[in-house]
Parts: sequence; structure tokens; C-alpha cells
Amino acid sequence: MPEIKTGEELLRVEHLCQYFGRTKAVDDVNFSVYKGEVFGLVGESGCGKTTTGRSIIKIYDITSGDIYLEGKHVAAGTLAHKQAIKEAGAKLKTAPENEKEALKKEIEKEREALKEAKRVQKKEKVVDKIQMIFQDPIASLDPRMTVREIIAEGLIIKGEKDKKLIDQKVYEALEKVGLVREHAGRYPHEFSGGQRQRIGIARSVIMHPEMIIADEPVSALDVSIQAQVINLLNDLRKEYGITIMFIAHDLSVVKYFSDRIGVMYYGKMVELASSDELFAHPLHPYTKSLLSAIPLPDPDSEKKRKRLVYNKLKDHDYSKQGPTMREVAPGHFVYCNDEEEARYKKELSR
Amino acid sequence: MDKILEVKNLKISFRTNSGILRAVRDISFDLEKGRTLAIVGESGSGKSVTSKAILGILAGNSIIEGGEILYDGMDLLKISEDEMHKIRGDKISMIFQDPLSSLNPIVKIGRQITEATLLKNKANRKDARKQFNHTLALLKSAMIESGAADEAKAKELCSTFDDFCINANKHEHAYNVDFDTCEDCLAHLKDLLFKAEKNQKQNVKSLVRDILKKSEKFKSEFFVREYKKRLEEVTKRVEEILPSYKPVQDDNHLSADLKKALTELETILSEMLEQTKPNFFRIGYYTLKNPSEDIFAIPIAELNEKALAFLDQNFMLEFLQITEKALKFSSDKYLAKKKEAVEVLKKELPYFEGAIDQKGATDRAKIMIKAVQAGIDPLEIKKDNRAYTFVTSINDAVSRYFRFEKENPKEQKRFDKENEKLEKAKFKGKKVDWKVVPANIVDLDLLKENMLHVINGLIENYEKAEANHAAIDFKERSLELVDFLKDRASKVVYRITRSMAKENAIKLMEEVGISEPRMRYNQYPFEFSGGMRQRIVIAIALTADPEILICDEPTTALDVTIQAQILELINDLKRSRNLSIIFITHDLGVVANMADDIAVMYAGKIVEQGTASDIFYDPRHPYTWALLSSMPDLDTKEKLESIPGTPPNMIYPPVGDAFAERNKYAMQIDFEMQPPMFEVSETHKAATWLLHPDAPKLETPETIRNRIARMKAKNNNGGETNA
Repeated sequence: MPEIKTGEELLRVEHLCQYFGRTKAVDDVNFSVYKGEVFGLVGESGCGKTTTGRSIIKIYDITSGDIYLEGKHVAAGTLAHKQAIKEAGAKLKTAPENEKEALKKEIEKEREALKEAKRVQKKEKVVDKIQMIFQDPIASLDPRMTVREIIAEGLIIKGEKDKKLIDQKVYEALEKVGLVREHAGRYPHEFSGGQRQRIGIARSVIMHPEMIIADEPVSALDVSIQAQVINLLNDLRKEYGITIMFIAHDLSVVKYFSDRIGVMYYGKMVELASSDELFAHPLHPYTKSLLSAIPLPDPDSEKKRKRLVYNKLKDHDYSKQGPTMREVAPGHFVYCNDEEEARYKKELSR
Repeated sequence: MDKILEVKNLKISFRTNSGILRAVRDISFDLEKGRTLAIVGESGSGKSVTSKAILGILAGNSIIEGGEILYDGMDLLKISEDEMHKIRGDKISMIFQDPLSSLNPIVKIGRQITEATLLKNKANRKDARKQFNHTLALLKSAMIESGAADEAKAKELCSTFDDFCINANKHEHAYNVDFDTCEDCLAHLKDLLFKAEKNQKQNVKSLVRDILKKSEKFKSEFFVREYKKRLEEVTKRVEEILPSYKPVQDDNHLSADLKKALTELETILSEMLEQTKPNFFRIGYYTLKNPSEDIFAIPIAELNEKALAFLDQNFMLEFLQITEKALKFSSDKYLAKKKEAVEVLKKELPYFEGAIDQKGATDRAKIMIKAVQAGIDPLEIKKDNRAYTFVTSINDAVSRYFRFEKENPKEQKRFDKENEKLEKAKFKGKKVDWKVVPANIVDLDLLKENMLHVINGLIENYEKAEANHAAIDFKERSLELVDFLKDRASKVVYRITRSMAKENAIKLMEEVGISEPRMRYNQYPFEFSGGMRQRIVIAIALTADPEILICDEPTTALDVTIQAQILELINDLKRSRNLSIIFITHDLGVVANMADDIAVMYAGKIVEQGTASDIFYDPRHPYTWALLSSMPDLDTKEKLESIPGTPPNMIYPPVGDAFAERNKYAMQIDFEMQPPMFEVSETHKAATWLLHPDAPKLETPETIRNRIARMKAKNNNGGETNA
């Protein structure tokens, strides 16, 4: 069995839902991130991995579910409570006399929870602890601000007024990411793609976050520059013990970089395991199809490679029983039903 | 191998505010028919510029400093915009890197996809007819001149060929259209049945009606002949049952009788798809000579055989024989003229080696052009690119020489003046906020060399043709000619209607992974996400049915599954349409799957060139090493080796090897002199001093050696288990 991280839990996401109108971008996702690890999130575009990251850092108000950071409730959704109240209210109309009291109590409880959720949603801040690196290094830097202003912005918003201290921290951050002091006075357009991504990283590092959410930090970069950025993130992690949530669609990079990986498909988390385990024993058919699509720098095996195609309808039979997230091996979770669980366990034991 | 596109000594620069930026510095490569050439390099290495030069869509501030791009007897760098128009999008098509800027925001997606097909279709048919007639007329006169057939005979042969060839292709086209429709129907029907089985909600009535409507449209007699009655019967039955079908809530299964009828329709359609395809070329002749016979009474396989025997006996063998003689005669005739041309060129060559003046050079160029053009054999299918492009090349070379002879002193004068002004201003202590634009002086000796190169190249080609003449197999040539004519004939009848174009577009949209293509057909580009837009751009490039497809980072913006899908699609198309592809990317992983040949570019030069296995299993250039070791694969554990620094500024191109500054294996000579291309093997070349016999022996870096060993072991294991 592969080694399972038993470190301290840093972030816990419970039943996270994020709906945009009728679109269920993220639907009932659960996972935890442990201190010091790299948690990879993969899936095709539109599967909700970026939305998950953005929900965690509270760019969106989440629809339903709870997020805990270091055991503290930092984000909560209201939809589930509202629905519960509505349902109980409807039941109340038809319910017999003796049950009414219990239902009323339930409604009261849900109302309390709703109030609490609204408070949490409004008041709790996470940006001190979690920072994000965005996908597009060109679009995410304000072209009219100097690098110093960009990097220092977070500190200033946080209330830091001492200019000397800010300057010093900016220089430190720049040096951390492999740039030099002289770069602080320049504008973003004077930098190459890789350097711009470094500025983005410096901006998040200056806040001394516990965790960085890196949303496809390398997919817009050339291969040679990609390696520079990945090495940099790796160094930061080793030196400062920063936890990283790494969102990407390039599986070779994710495999190289992450300790544990979650696979998402259409708003659902379908498989979650340590990265070696996931690549050695993929169970969910979608994960298999994803792994079969990775291009490798090896012409001979590439000619033989056969891509598996995932078809939700053909690959599952959920007419009798719906799927849930189940642990089929220690630390290896798959989204499946009873019959599939038995099959997967058999597959693993072989 | 046939070379379909040759790029020779291409040099391109850009005029910018801060000086001349050398984007492409003397690169040469060939694209062979039916193969994929991958150009790999970082951004700014000049790979996109090269592809844009091929299509003639370079930005306005570009300067083409030299070189040739030869395609089908034309030099794409020198032809007019009108001629380029016929090639662009139609013969050579491109998938662009940036989907945002390559779609028109105010035109619906559907129209953008079908536009090219509809626009080009008519012109293409006209063009094909012209070529067909022209070639046939040339063949006829060659037949008569050679004495292989008298005038009446030649006339009869050619007009018969014309008649039945075009006619047969008409039938074939109708058959193909029906075949496609049938395939489409079947796919939809299967989908419908499958979804009903799985209890999925769908609008059964309208879907079935759609299928029925399409299946009634079969036009080709050859396609429906045996199945007509059965098809009509089933259709009627389904139409009767359909109004009574009502889906119940939560139960989307089909009623028993409807299911039975639809399954029967499914079997009929799949049988229709599996029937033997008639050989229309043979049958066309057969029906032409036996118009009264009812060919639908005979089974297709038998008819095919019968018609073949009939065709061979009465027409084809004779036709081929006479064609062979005519071709031999024509070839002999032009060979003599070629010899004359070589003599003329050799006579004029010394003049160009010495001092030249404008009038003398232009006159002599005219004489040479006349001689060279007389030596071109119009009945040759494989065109000699050099001979065809001689006119444009020599004219261009001569006029360029004299233009710069005049302009160089002017430019020098301007530069000196501005410099003087600057010096004065500085001397007076004024604040100077402008720079002197560097002088654009072109080396006249180089231009002259260009001229000699053109002339010498042609002499060489013609002499080669002379030497090879004895070995030509005219039987093969005549078969080639017939194939060429057949191909043109099929293009003449290839008529596409608006609705066909729409169906094609929807099919392609489905193929490139756009869900609900029918609805999305009528949407605007802004309603699509980036990945979806990229797929639209790919669909547009593929509708035009080009000979050469240039893919400029087509999958960079897409995720793995879609990337794999698109790459498979491109590979399939390459196989089915015999496409030649230029694939531009910075991701070596993608290339392993696609490419037959790879050229690695850095700072405007090709640094390594070879087949895919050469580059991946035996890389030689330090830059290729760096590229390979900087990307992780699934087994990588060690620290990635990144390439330090950034590519050089090409306004001030480095004197030596451009990669030297970022190269940890760089030697002193790398900073001083550009390395030439060293040949590693017949297919494999690399430009690095490390390959020089005097260079220290250097092993391939360990990470790469390990990886190659790992891949080899894996492949061998895989092979054993398979066997």
C-alpha cells in the first residue's frame, strides 16, 4: 500500500456545491488537504476544478456546503438550509398533530444554521492564509502598476503602512522567486511569460500564506519555462512548508508534482488517491480514459497507444442504485455504487 | 518519396522601431506527401513566422530577405495575390494558434464553417474542368504528332474518355453522397435506440421523422437498387406507428412494435452500407457502349468483373498503349529542348559572374527564360519546381539586385546624416530621446550569388533530367496520367449544395467534440468557450479539404482528453485524405504521436532535424536535450532540468551558436562561429560543434539516457506480451 499522509489537516471541504443558475459547476465535492502536501486537481476544461479553487478562496459565495480552514469554519452555503426549511414547512401543512412540534423545532434549528452560515459567509476571511496564482500571467497582472505595487498590494490592503517594511518585504519576495530588486520598478509588459508568472507567485508568497492555490500556473508557458516555474514552486514548498493545491490538466506535470490527486468530472469528484496509487491502479473509467490520453515523448509506444473513451451512459448502470464516494482501499476513494465497489475491490486485489 | 513542399534558404526579418529583427535565419526543409513534419521550438523561435510565410500572410512590416517556397510549380514567395488566393485555404490550409482573433465575431459559426466550402466549390470545379480539358487536349496532339494514332483515332479515344469518365464520376458522387447520408441516419438511429434502452429522455418523434426524411432522399440508383422496396415498406410502417407512440412519465422505453420496426430499419441501413461498391469507372464505359442493357439486373460484383473485361478489351489497353507512345514522344521532344536550354544557360552564365548592368542582365534573363520554358514537358504530372519557377526567381533576383544597388548608397547617406545629427546634439549637451535606425544595407555579392544559384540550380536539374531520361518507365507514367485525369474528373462533378455543406459542417463539429452541434451551428463565436472556439477553427480548416494542413499550436489551449481527440482526428484525416501536415508546437509530447519528421528550431534556425525516432531516441543538439529533460513524464522523480535564461534578442542575433549562452556544454567556438549542419545519419542532421570530429566526446545527459532506456525496455516488454 502506498504511504498515506497522516499530517495535520489544513483544509476540509464538505459537500461543496457551486451552482450558476441551473449549471451545477461543482456538485457535492468532499476532500481534505493536509499540511505540507501538494494536492492535485485534474479534469477536462469545464469540469469545475477552477471553480472549486475559486470557491475555496471565497471569490464566489458558495451555494451549499462547508469549508473549514485549520478547523475553523470559514465558508458556508445557504441553499441546503433554505431547502430544508422549505421542505419542513411543506410537511408541516399536512403532518399529523403529534409530529408538528418536532418539525417546528427542526425549522428553528435550520434557521439558526442559516443565520450562522450567512455570518460566516460575510465575516470570515481566508486571504491571509490562502493565496491564489492565476492561470494567465498576462491577464492577471495590472499593466498600469509597477511590479512593486502589484506585489505590495496585498500587504497594503491588509493594513501595512510602513513603506520601508513594505519595500523590504517586496525585495524579499522577489528574491525568493528568483527575480532581482531592480525588477520592482518595472511594468509587467517588460517581462517574459515565465517572469510574469514569477511575479504572480511573489505576490502570493509575500502574504506568508499557509496554502497556495495554483490554478494552471504553467499551461500558458513554454516547456522550458514550465520547468523553471515548477522547480520554483517545489523549492518554496520545501523551504517554507507551504501547502499547494495544484489545479492542472497536464497529467504528467500533476503526477510529477503532487502527493495526492483528485479527479473531477462534470462537477463531481470521481476518484481521489495518492498520486502513485492513482496512476498505478486507476479504477474509475473516466480516470482510465484520462490516463490513456496522456501523450508521451516516445514515438514507438505512442504509435501503439490506444485511447479509451469514457461514456457515462455505457460505463455505468446506475438505474438500480445511485453512486456515492466510497473508500475502496485505504486512502483511495472512488465514486461508485455497491456493485462497482465490489468490482473495483476485486480489481485491486489482483 | 514525393516532395510536396520545399522550403529553401528562407530568410525573414521584421522592421521594428528598435531595428531589424531577424525572425527566420536561413532555414530549409522538405515536406513529403502524406507525412507529418513537426516544427518544435520555444515562442519567438520563428516557427509561426515560417508557417505564415508559406501561406503568404506575414505582417506588413516583414521583409523577405531571400529563399524560396516551392509548391506545385510555383514559388509561393513570389506569386501574385490572385494566384495565392487559389492556394490559400484550398490547397494549403491552416489551423491558427489564437482562436479569439481568427474567428469573425459578427458572423454565425455555421456560416463561417461552410463559407469556404461553398465559395471554393464552384471555382474548384471550373478549375478542374479546365485542367482536365487542357491535359486531354495536350495528350491528343501528342498522340497525333507521335504517329501512334491518326487524327480520327486520337479524337475518338479522347472524346470517349472524356465522356464516360465524367459521367462515371457523376454517378460515383451521387453514390458517395447517399452513402454518407445513410451512415448519418444509421448513427442517429443507433443513438436513439441506445438511449431508449437506457431510459434516457429524448424527443423520439422528431428524431425518427428526421431519420425518415433523410432516408427518403437517396438519389443514387446504384445505392438503393435492391433495398428500395424493403426500405419503403419499413418507412411506411414506422410512419403508421409513430403517431400512436406516447412516452409515459419516467419511462422512456420504446413501444414494442415501434422498436421492432426501427430495428428492422437499422438492419436495412447497415446492409446498405455493407454492399459491394460498384466500380463506376468501368461501368461508365460499359453503359456508354451498351445503353440498352439493364445493368440493375446484374449483381454488382458480377457487373464489376464484366465491365472490367469489357473495358480492357475494347478501350483501356489500347488507350494506355497509345498514351505511352505519346508520352515517350513528348518526353523525347522536350529533352532535346532541355539540352538546348542548358547550352543557352551555360553560355549566359559567365556574364552574370562578372560585372553586370541592368539592361544587359534583363535582356539575357529574357533569353534564358524563353529557353527554359521551351524545355518544360507539359505532360509531366510531377512538376519540376525549379523549371516552373525559373521565371519568377530570376526576374526577382535581377530586379532586387539593381534595386539595392541604387538604394544602398541612399540608405548609407541617411544613416550617416542622422548619426552626425545625433553626435552634434550630444556634443551640445542636449537631451537626446531618439535613436538612429540602423542602416538596412543589403550585401550585393549575396544577391548576385542568389542569381547564380538560380541559374546553376536549373542547369543541374535539367542535366539530371537528361541523365534519368533512359530510366523512365512510360507505362507507369501513362497510368499516372490516367489517375490524374480521373482525379480531376471527380473534382469536376464534386458539387456541394448548401444543405450538404451544412450537414458536413455539423458532422465535423461533432467530430471535433462540440456537443449539440445542430443548436450551436447558429451561434456566434462569443457564445463559445476558448477550447470550443479552437475546435471551430479546426473544423473550418478541415472543411476546405486541403492538400497541406498547417497546424500552429492547435491543441495548446485544450485539455488532455480533447487534445488526444483532436490529434486522433487530424491523424485520421491525414490517412484518409493523404494529407501532408506541418505541425507547429512547443510540446514534444504531442509530437511523438503525430510526427514522422521533426525539425527543432531555435532563434530562427533549425538546430536539429530528423525522423521522430532520431530525435527522441538519439538526440544530439544540447537544445534538444534541454527540451527533452525539462518536461516530466510519468516516471520522472528527479528535479527537472530547466533551461536557464531566455532566448536571445533577435534584433542583435548572436555571432556564434544562438543557444550558447544558455548551454552548459558550450565551448569557446560556440560563441565565435555558427556551427554548420553535421550529418549524423542519412535522415538525421544537427547544427552543433559537439559533432565536429575535433570536439570532446560528450555523452547524452543522464536523465535522457535513463528515460530512453526505460522507454525501450517498456516497448520491448510490451512487444513480448503482445506476441
